[in-house]
Amino acid sequence: MAGYIGNLALFFSLIFNGFLIFLLITRIRNNNFKNLKTINFFNNSIFFLLLISFLTLIYCFIVSDFSNVAVYQNSHTTKPLIYKISGAWGNHEGSMVLFILILSLFSFVFVRTKVSEKLKFYTVFFQAILILIFLIFLILTSNPFDRMDPKPLQGLGLNPILQDPLLAIHPPFLYFGYVGFSLVFSFALAGLVTNNFDKSWSKIANFWIILPWSLLTIGIGLGSFWAYYELGWGGYWFWDPVENASLMPWLAATALIHSNIVTLKKDKLHSWTALLSIFTFIMSLLGTFLVRSGVLNSVHAFANDPYRGVYILSTILFITFFSLAIFIIKSPKKSLYGKYYFFQRDNFILINNCFLIFFLSVVLVGTVYPIILDAISGKSISVGPIYYHTILAPFLFVFLFFMSHGPLLSWNKEDKFLQIKNFKIFFPISIVISSVIIFLFFDYKDIILILGLLFSVYLIVSVIFDWVSQKKLSLNFGRLVSHFGFGTLIFAIFINAYLSKEINAAMKVGDEIKIQEFTIKFKSINRIKKENYEEVFGNFLVANKDKKVELTPSIRKYDQPVQFTSETSIKTNFIVDYYFAINLSEFEKDKIMVRFYYKPLMFWIWLSILLIAFGGIYQTFRLRNEK
Amino acid sequence: MKKFIFIIIFLILSSNGFSANEELKNKIYKNIRCIVCQGQSIYESNSDFAIDLKKLISKKLDNGENEKQIYEFLISRYGEWIVFNPGLNFNSLALWLLPLIIFMIGGFLIFRLNNRKKK
Repeated sequence: MAGYIGNLALFFSLIFNGFLIFLLITRIRNNNFKNLKTINFFNNSIFFLLLISFLTLIYCFIVSDFSNVAVYQNSHTTKPLIYKISGAWGNHEGSMVLFILILSLFSFVFVRTKVSEKLKFYTVFFQAILILIFLIFLILTSNPFDRMDPKPLQGLGLNPILQDPLLAIHPPFLYFGYVGFSLVFSFALAGLVTNNFDKSWSKIANFWIILPWSLLTIGIGLGSFWAYYELGWGGYWFWDPVENASLMPWLAATALIHSNIVTLKKDKLHSWTALLSIFTFIMSLLGTFLVRSGVLNSVHAFANDPYRGVYILSTILFITFFSLAIFIIKSPKKSLYGKYYFFQRDNFILINNCFLIFFLSVVLVGTVYPIILDAISGKSISVGPIYYHTILAPFLFVFLFFMSHGPLLSWNKEDKFLQIKNFKIFFPISIVISSVIIFLFFDYKDIILILGLLFSVYLIVSVIFDWVSQKKLSLNFGRLVSHFGFGTLIFAIFINAYLSKEINAAMKVGDEIKIQEFTIKFKSINRIKKENYEEVFGNFLVANKDKKVELTPSIRKYDQPVQFTSETSIKTNFIVDYYFAINLSEFEKDKIMVRFYYKPLMFWIWLSILLIAFGGIYQTFRLRNEK
Repeated sequence: MKKFIFIIIFLILSSNGFSANEELKNKIYKNIRCIVCQGQSIYESNSDFAIDLKKLISKKLDNGENEKQIYEFLISRYGEWIVFNPGLNFNSLALWLLPLIIFMIGGFLIFRLNNRKKK
């Protein structure tokens, strides 16, 4: 029953969306931008219909209505309630409903803000086109309310590694982020078509760029945190194509945030800002395609279907072609004109953009190249972490250096000597700090490590310097926090990469081993039976010269589907994580394979990501209050 | 100013790539794709394939073979797909060059904009 309602709501939202587009076209033709009542009525209805549809789907999951194919394939009666709910968007069909719902939500909120009517019309129009495209896709290829008869008695269950509280909230954040960029995409097209791409456009766009960017930052952080404690290999970023897919829109949006500031402050760089607005959303779509199509070989590719891939790919090509055509025809003529002096803020933002686009192209090429090479020549190559680290690291150092000085530059006056003076303050301080760290904690030195620490400390020093010399802190608080977070993030990543330690061994109860400076004792084992899995805990005592930690990692055997997962046990003192994971061994039946990781500054990596996101959220609230 | 540069050079020279056998092993494991898994390296997997390969690599290292020889052996057996580091060769040329070209185009545009003022 509920399924019918959801399906009906979905169809009605499609019909209403058709009406809305028709209405908008006639209004635009007659040049009638007054009276938003009917437009609002349709726009609101679409949102509420989609919301009903989404809630019904959740309801189907909660009551385990297995006559619904999506529920049957992804749920099970013994699954805890929270995973029944999150199961609604933990699968392809449901996540596409969420995707469209967010498209509609942004349109719904946008019409309630203060924007000129003409811009509002066009933005809603482009947003409605996007909703139309994806609704058709949803209904044709992946209807979440498809039914099966007879109704199965039990569902197939959700992949156990996806049964995790963080993973329940990670996709919504990610989607709010990268679907959120649709609004600035539509708004950019609206600005271009109506020749309104100017400072006032930038002012409004700022909010719609930074908000999804902040949410995406949190989404990426949550995903990374999940990978860290759930996958059980001590890693937090694998340069996995699906991770890359979320990083691409993030990098594009970060470039956009900065270029938009130039448009806002100096009324320059319009074309570039417009292009980035379009490009950011296209990166989001590309990410969706990569994840949803099954072209990837990845831990995350849990929903694969080639037909869907073809549809999404042609959709992306259509949207790209169409939006670029608008951009080329209507591109604001002022574009890059205007003066740029090297030691001036706007010029450093150009440099920032150049680097960010480079980072983006590395991630993009690294992710897509193997797929294309395979398609063209049939040769398969793998692009792993080493590629990314090698090509990114040297550029990252220079980027950090520019990032330290950029915000200290003036918008209107070139002042080279002030920066040389700043350099003479920052450089000795960061040399001293990083040397002390290196000589205290590292028994071997590596040039990459030295440069990484040096430049991240340099950035942190410059931000602190900038912070204390602020006259009105609230003005730049968001930026300072985000930049500071970025500095500590890079710092923590480097320390972590070079100071992490790991021990692998096969042990049985009662064993005690001594490797490196650690003593590991396998004290005991105990068993617990839960509703949908059985869990075996190992109790371990890890000690080094200054610390003793008890860790209880476990192995779970899930019933539906039958699958073993290993659950990590992590203890942190905010400086170092003690991380333990166990799994069964094929070769030594009476022993358990244990893995112990010593991971410094992990907490600081998560904190830094939160700081980066917090800076953005602060800024969006400040922007709202300004209005 | 000169002092700082001197310090950096000193730091660079004093660095040495010390790494124990265990670290080399893990480095190689992390660079070999577990071809029966989904996007994981053999280091991050406990599948039979990964375990067999880890044993094989460890044996080869003990026999005195070096990293490069091991990669060559594995590539000849499983194809280039097995190593995560694509290296620099004909197939991967565009992989390394494309981003660099994009960066240079960006740099060139900024350079031109900076010199526009002199007109």
